[in-house]
Amino acid sequence: MIKSIAKKEFFSTLRDSRFVALSVIVLLLLLAATVVGLHSYNTLQQERGVAQQTVNDQFANAQDRHPHRMAHYGSYAFRPKSSISFLDFGLDSYTGASVYMEAHRQNSANFSQAQQSGSLIRFGEMTVAFVLQMLIPLLIIFLCFGAFTQEKETGTLKLLLSQGVSLRQVAWAKVAGYSKVVALVTAPALVLASMLLFGKGGFELGGDVLLRLLGFMVFYLAYFFIFIVLSVVVSALHQRSSTALVTLLGIWILCCVIIPKASANLGASLYTTPTKAQMDADVHKEVAKGIDGHNSQDARAEALKQELLQKYKVKTMEELPVNFDGIWMAVGEEQSSKVYQEHFGELTDIFEKQNRISEYAGLLNPYLAVRHLSMGMAGADFSHYIHFQQTAENYRYNIAQELNHLQATKLKYGDKETRLSSETWAAMKPFTYETPTAGWALGKHLVSVVALLLWVALVCTLGIKLIDNTKVA
Amino acid sequence: MNTVLEAKQLRKEYLSKVALQGLDLQINAGEIFCLLGQNGAGKSTTINLFLGFIQPTSGAAFINGLEVAANVTKVKEFLAYIPENVMLYPNLTGLENLALFSSLAGFDYKKDELIYYLVQAGLPAEAAGRRIGGYSKGMRQKVGIAIAVAKHASVLLLDEPTSGLDPKASNEFSELLLKLSDQGTAIFMATHDIFRSKEVGSRIGIMREGELVDVLPAATLNANELESLYLNYMHV
Repeated sequence: MIKSIAKKEFFSTLRDSRFVALSVIVLLLLLAATVVGLHSYNTLQQERGVAQQTVNDQFANAQDRHPHRMAHYGSYAFRPKSSISFLDFGLDSYTGASVYMEAHRQNSANFSQAQQSGSLIRFGEMTVAFVLQMLIPLLIIFLCFGAFTQEKETGTLKLLLSQGVSLRQVAWAKVAGYSKVVALVTAPALVLASMLLFGKGGFELGGDVLLRLLGFMVFYLAYFFIFIVLSVVVSALHQRSSTALVTLLGIWILCCVIIPKASANLGASLYTTPTKAQMDADVHKEVAKGIDGHNSQDARAEALKQELLQKYKVKTMEELPVNFDGIWMAVGEEQSSKVYQEHFGELTDIFEKQNRISEYAGLLNPYLAVRHLSMGMAGADFSHYIHFQQTAENYRYNIAQELNHLQATKLKYGDKETRLSSETWAAMKPFTYETPTAGWALGKHLVSVVALLLWVALVCTLGIKLIDNTKVA
Repeated sequence: MNTVLEAKQLRKEYLSKVALQGLDLQINAGEIFCLLGQNGAGKSTTINLFLGFIQPTSGAAFINGLEVAANVTKVKEFLAYIPENVMLYPNLTGLENLALFSSLAGFDYKKDELIYYLVQAGLPAEAAGRRIGGYSKGMRQKVGIAIAVAKHASVLLLDEPTSGLDPKASNEFSELLLKLSDQGTAIFMATHDIFRSKEVGSRIGIMREGELVDVLPAATLNANELESLYLNYMHV
């Protein structure tokens, strides 16, 4: 029975020219977004790859220099794009793409696409994720709002039921039929995306990319399923198609516009972030005066001098077997890094608390749940950005300390003239970045996974149960 | 006689409004029972109760001895229903509509068999492959009849089935009902059509404000008497 009605819904919908026209538009948008996303991915990936290689080469081939000059010469870390990010740009357009890594300073990532684009980017970008998250639910609403109401209005529901079909069977059949239609609209774009990924796209392939793509698809399937069942249930609870449509459009506005904005605003008001200037000033102050404000740099330097003189049982700095300048630089780097990490940790904590509100709002709104999961699988969420920032900072710290160590061991106290050869820089490990695994990404969004699963369970149980109350006559 | 359709003190109330007042009725196999009454008299309520679409406030409806309210799905095996305006699915052909409803009733007919039922119901064979959206009301009604016939139901519930049909289509419909009746199908037809009732009915019931006020054998009445009786009951 379910199969017969599902088949009817499928073919009946495909023969509806209005729906076919709408579907073709959405499909074209999806395909266009896939191609545009791929083009953008390729361009950015290539640019960043070339830029990273260039700065790595420049560092490795730098002329003979004093190690501390080299520490200030620094290098750049360019954030490579995750393979799946061509489907969902996520926060990538708003977060920085490169970090300047130098001694003593922990710079944040700069040169985001938003910084370099016009104001139009504020309207959002046409990505596959945008179409899947916002437009497909609209398509589903236009497809399903009359699922039951049209049957009631035309009297065919009575005819169906008089053949011995139950309301639940009709509902499941419609869900099955509409799911096939939605699959028909979305599948070509996802197949194209897969072909590009595993075909000619020039991506670095691996099990992790496949897992991310699978996760991406599964979460969207669940999202569409929720909207389909929800639309069918709402239609069953109304007597007229017009009121069912208005209710469903209201739900769409609430889920896709109001709750996301409200949860973001709520997060920002509950957990205020310091300005960048304020944070930089605090870091500078604490580095200069010590974390407790009573242990100045001068005092700490003097204490370290005395400690070393005592340790090596010598009276002057020149007699020390190690270069005090290098040791002091290392201690300073450690200190400033510690201060920075504390402030960065606090800032990250605030952002995570803001994000958590949005993640928990996914329990009220499947759109938010799928948005977080989509960005997570695409490697374009806040967690991935922080992961890159931390990796760059770890690299910066290690390089700075390596250079400080060279200064402490290869140069004499007060020696500002000696240059180390360029082979020294070439021997240093260049910056590379590996995107974390799909499992790591999923772990960051467990609340959204649970929210999506709960929504599926809710619409399948409570929603379908409500259909029993459908007024037939 | 074999009672196929039965109502025992069947009553339906909507809040304070009584839609059906303790209906007692028996319809036997091969009998055509025509129920006359104004709009809102309770005719459709009676049909909806037999279909199990609404629950009785008290009393019970039975089909082939099974209480409808307790066997909502099971009793559907025995009955077929034709509403006043058979709309069906406009994007499917007549053939596809019939195939769908027949398969839901458990009959998977081949194309030839489907065409046979459609033609038997009076639909031209060449129209079977066209979409229902392009059919006239009469043609749609014929597909509805084909759906009912193809189900081989022992009970046929008709809710003003000839409303809006042209005389030719109405006559063809009447002929079909008589044929089904001869084959032993019990037919319950709610209608406004006094003359059609006299023509095809075995008995004619008159319903007013939810009450079955009279039941008359169609054979002993002439059409004029029936019209006077009907108008008298309706206080027109």
